[in-house]
Amino acid sequence: MSATPKRMIPRLLQMALVIVGVYFGFILFFDVLLGQLIPKSLLTMYMVFVVAGVVMVFTFTEQGAQELAGPIKALVEDPSKKMMRNVVFVIVPLLAGYYTYSSMLLSFEAPVELRTIHPAPPNKFKAYGKSYNLTTLENPYRKFEKEDPAKFKELVKEGGDVYIRNCQYCHGDKLDGKGPYASGLNPTPLNFQDVGTIAQLQESFLFWRIATGGPGLPAEAAPWISSMPVWQDFLTEDEIWKVILFLYNYTGRQPRSWAHE
Amino acid sequence: MNNRRLGKTMTYINKLALLTLCSALFAAGPAMAKPGTAAKGKEIYDKRCTWCHGAEGDGKGAARDRLNPPPRDFTSGNYKIRSSDFEDLTPNDDDIFRMIRDGMPGTAMPGWSDILTEQDMWDLVAHVKTFAGYEKPPAKQVDYGTQISSSAESIEKGKKLFEDGDRCVECHGKSGKGSASKRLKGEAGERTWPRNLTKPWTYRGSNDPKDIFSRISTGIAGTEMPSFADPKSKKKLTVEERWHVANYVASLAKNDKKVNADNTVVKADKVEGELPATPDDERWGKTAPTTFYLVPQIIGKERYFTPSNDTITVRALYNDKSVAMLLEWDDRTRSTPGDDSAGKLADAPIEEDGVAVQLPVVIPSEMQKPYFGMGDAAHPVNIWHWKGGTKDAPETASLITSKGFKEIEKRDAKEVGLTAKSGYSDGTWKVLMVRPLATAAKDKDIQFVEGKFIPVAFAAWDGSNNSEKGSKHTMTTWYWLLLKPATGSKPLVTGLVIAALFLGGLLWWARSAGSKAA
Ligand code: HEC
Ligand code: HEC
Ligand code: HEC
Repeated sequence: MSATPKRMIPRLLQMALVIVGVYFGFILFFDVLLGQLIPKSLLTMYMVFVVAGVVMVFTFTEQGAQELAGPIKALVEDPSKKMMRNVVFVIVPLLAGYYTYSSMLLSFEAPVELRTIHPAPPNKFKAYGKSYNLTTLENPYRKFEKEDPAKFKELVKEGGDVYIRNCQYCHGDKLDGKGPYASGLNPTPLNFQDVGTIAQLQESFLFWRIATGGPGLPAEAAPWISSMPVWQDFLTEDEIWKVILFLYNYTGRQPRSWAHE
Repeated sequence: MNNRRLGKTMTYINKLALLTLCSALFAAGPAMAKPGTAAKGKEIYDKRCTWCHGAEGDGKGAARDRLNPPPRDFTSGNYKIRSSDFEDLTPNDDDIFRMIRDGMPGTAMPGWSDILTEQDMWDLVAHVKTFAGYEKPPAKQVDYGTQISSSAESIEKGKKLFEDGDRCVECHGKSGKGSASKRLKGEAGERTWPRNLTKPWTYRGSNDPKDIFSRISTGIAGTEMPSFADPKSKKKLTVEERWHVANYVASLAKNDKKVNADNTVVKADKVEGELPATPDDERWGKTAPTTFYLVPQIIGKERYFTPSNDTITVRALYNDKSVAMLLEWDDRTRSTPGDDSAGKLADAPIEEDGVAVQLPVVIPSEMQKPYFGMGDAAHPVNIWHWKGGTKDAPETASLITSKGFKEIEKRDAKEVGLTAKSGYSDGTWKVLMVRPLATAAKDKDIQFVEGKFIPVAFAAWDGSNNSEKGSKHTMTTWYWLLLKPATGSKPLVTGLVIAALFLGGLLWWARSAGSKAA
């Protein structure tokens, strides 16, 4: 930090700018980049930390603190700033009053629910009346991709048939999570075209998710609201492995594998 | 970031995208036909379209028996949305292009513009046409004459023509909701439902008067919707008359039945005195509606794929004794088992129409709710179930407390004080359900409280469509019900007090600073 007393921008304004900047940064990051509105309660919590941190940095040195407090003191004490003072003295109480009033009104905004989309999978899980070990589970058909491309193509096609008969209603026939019934479901079905879903996952994870569905999720992923069906009730193990081949093939993505880690 | 906000994600982005899309479409105007290459189109078709339309274009893809309307059989040559003369079934390339680009709302046919390029789509047009051997463009186009813009007068004329001799009413019903007087079939023998003209977002084309004009002029190929430009038709309409009818049909849109993804809360206001005793009570007109999509039950055994009901609109009110919920949904058929005329419209066997409300027995104070499908072992739900009755038996309201679909306890609705009253009129059911705020069985019934967000879900049955019954129904996932307490003057008073305190503090500070300086 330099110690030149004359600055282009007064310290107080600098601080205000940093805080406002971070605030909009959050909104931008969530709403535009992640594509979801940031929950109000979460934003408030983040901002409390940010404000505390920024104030600490700006008042770290004695001089810094004085420079910061200077304009505020001047506003109250300097007779030449009377006009400004009157304005501030009207606005601040009004804002405080309004804030109190509006926070006491009951909010009709639906409660925000947070859930983990990709929870840590269990090491072992039960399906089809047997136990699977997720750390060693592999897609038995993956090997044909190299060994027998013609056979692989056939398997993908069979997976596609399973998909279109069972999954497209929700995940969409473009695999973009926008099936005909997607907008009637909350949470919405996942978009497999997105780099944040199957491209990040191993085939064994998908097998676990598909076989056990929404109810198979751990509590942090809110299993009670997921409409993802329990596919072991409808599909065979084979069909699940084939539909997994199709998901990767159609989207042109590769599953993550142990080999790369 | 793993944590995600549920539900209406992306609302803001979506609107922005929609806006840009709309302006793009506006700027682009109608799609201009560009020559596509059928061979290139085939490659794309084989990857993306065969699943539904079949490798041979005959509509026999794997999905076929689980979709209604079924995927189009292109070898039939029938195109629903076209702008060529009624006598010439050949569509314009633009017509096909538009459906590929935008998709067909209310069906499994999506729009492809987000993953295919414009050239890809023209190539597909060229390929798809080959299945019916369409080589030449249509010889004649729909004659639009001069468009008559919409006005009260034109709409009035259109209404008369719509109703005259049951011209459109025969199939679309007096209110336009599609309560047909007969069963209708499509080209593949599938059941077709006449469009609910009050829900323009379900039109395959659009409800722009020019689009409606085209549909009335050409009819809808492969369905029983006829052409009204055909001079041989007894119900023929002149060009001018068709514009009036189009304006009237466009004016039928009912926007309170459109889903607003941002509105997920049924808000119940408190009333002084008695609650409305009937579904038609005037006060419902002043109560804010919330509309939800109904999706078919494709989650648990036995799954159900071909629904007819698509949305449900809910209103609620309460007083110091009870809560009342008005459930309203468009259902083209009143299904009364035992009634002959109802039986003729229904798929056999006809079942009762029905609706249900699901609520948690214990209002959750944390995030965890009961499983949305009938609760779970640790978190039971109440289900209020209304059924429309048969020719010989009146409507019923029943109550169950369930912990999942295997553990169901039948309860006595009367004892709890749960009642239901219904009314059906020209394509719309309204069912009023009332229950006391508190009941005696606190471990088995929800006890309503003010000011808390209460999870709520709905289900509906159309007994004339594929004999909907039991697990064959449409449903929603969890949304919210809120009994809004009357707020009174407390927030205002506190707000004023706080403002006064702040002002006092500031003045005191200024004064003491002033005296120090002096
Ligand atoms: C009734 C709607 C519905 C159907 C049908 C459906 N899903 Fe899902 N699926 C969901 C929803 C909602 C989610 C997101 C919530 C969750 O993770 O459980 C999801 C999540 C998933 C995930 C997790 C992806 C990830 O990134 O973690 C996979 C994999 C998946 N579905 C595969 C399938 C397959 C394969 C089928 C067909 C056999 C299918 N789904 C059918 C609704 C559905
Ligand atoms: C998930 C299934 C599905 C897929 C995949 C699909 N369609 Fe369709 N398509 C349908 C259905 C269902 C209809 C019939 C809708 C109706 O009759 O109202 C249809 C209708 C059509 C029509 C008829 C338009 C009209 O005016 O009648 C065209 C053209 C069409 N599809 C082209 C395509 C092309 C090209 C692709 C691939 C890029 C494709 N479809 C992929 C389900 C699908
Ligand atoms: C014999 C029955 C019948 C008659 C008479 C009839 N319609 Fe239809 N109409 C239908 C059916 C069936 C559909 C749905 C077709 C489908 O499945 O896509 C339909 C669909 C429509 C659509 C929806 C177009 C779209 O883009 O989705 C409009 C608009 C319409 N009709 C207007 C009219 C008007 C106006 C009249 C009177 C001038 C009329 N119909 C007379 C049976 C009929």
